[in-house]
Amino acid sequence: MASSLENLETQLEMFIENVRQMDIIVSDFQPQSQNVLNQKLQAMVHGLQEIDKLKTQVQDVHVPLEVFDYIDQGRNPQLYTKDCIEKALAKNEQVKGKIDAYRKFKANMLVELGKTFPNELSKYRALRGDEGRRGD
Amino acid sequence: MMGDQFRKVEQYSPKSSPRGARSPVVSRQDSSGTLKTTILLGKNPSIVPSGPFYLLKEPPGESEITGATNLMTYYGLEHSYSKFSGKKLKEQLSSFLPTLPGVIDLPGQSDNSSLRSVIEKPPVGGKDLLLLSSAQLEGFRLHPGPLPEQYRYTTSTPLKKRKSKHKKHKHKDGGPPSAETAVTDAAGDTHEKKHKKQKRHDEDKERKKRKKEKKRKKQKHSPEHSGGLTPSQHSS
Repeated sequence: MASSLENLETQLEMFIENVRQMDIIVSDFQPQSQNVLNQKLQAMVHGLQEIDKLKTQVQDVHVPLEVFDYIDQGRNPQLYTKDCIEKALAKNEQVKGKIDAYRKFKANMLVELGKTFPNELSKYRALRGDEGRRGD
Repeated sequence: MMGDQFRKVEQYSPKSSPRGARSPVVSRQDSSGTLKTTILLGKNPSIVPSGPFYLLKEPPGESEITGATNLMTYYGLEHSYSKFSGKKLKEQLSSFLPTLPGVIDLPGQSDNSSLRSVIEKPPVGGKDLLLLSSAQLEGFRLHPGPLPEQYRYTTSTPLKKRKSKHKKHKHKDGGPPSAETAVTDAAGDTHEKKHKKQKRHDEDKERKKRKKEKKRKKQKHSPEHSGGLTPSQHSS
């Protein structure tokens, strides 16, 4: 997987470099550069062919669409990863807080029910087994 | 407004109840299975609940992992977390792709280069990519001379990059000095740093020399230490 991605990255970098060189040639064109430009054009087609060949190797790579929004806005895509991690952590903490609160509520509920309805609660505990005894 | 409310009330009248003409008193099959009752017939017919009371619904199955556990640790992502939360990431796309030429920090919509547009309007594909024939290459025969201003693109990139560097210096200094002064300041800083480094290096050398000389003197004066430790052994 990593090697296929590296291959694609290398090919893309080579392609971009070729286009950059073409840009330089074209920006102030000299008649003697025509042959070089033709070679660059052929290299561009060849580069596209190579990139096209690599598409089968990266079929199983899934990219979240939201990353594209970051890139389209000219932002570092690593910020997306950072945001995702931070969101996941915040949510994890929230859920943990809820679970802890419910545990405390259950424990208090059992204590209070035990005070008010001792007979019913003992029946309940007997039916529930461990579940009913566990206050936390 | 009021009329609407009345109409709504009428809709929910027993006549048009979703349950139909069924009386709510008639017992129906309990879907939860917690309301088991025993009907006793005879002289004194009565309905006695025989099953457990309604609080005893089956508890939801306990899952192996819940939000109560630290999922970051569970999935071994602490390294990624510390990597991204510890250091301050640079905002610009160019800091992620530093080798890419051209201005890439601008929004993609401005020059029709957004990745979203590639998804929304996929380019025509499925055709073989073939090298250009000599006749096709004739179409790329260009006139000599520079490109018109509006088509020049990457030539402005290096300048922009340099400008952004100056901005960084501005932030470090805190004040708003001009770009030139920032450059000279930065140059001065680096020079000073180098100088300091050199100074430190020289001092270290001198200290080592002095130590060596002291040791030599000691060795000369005391015959016991003639076969003593070498400096390297001593240090270890």
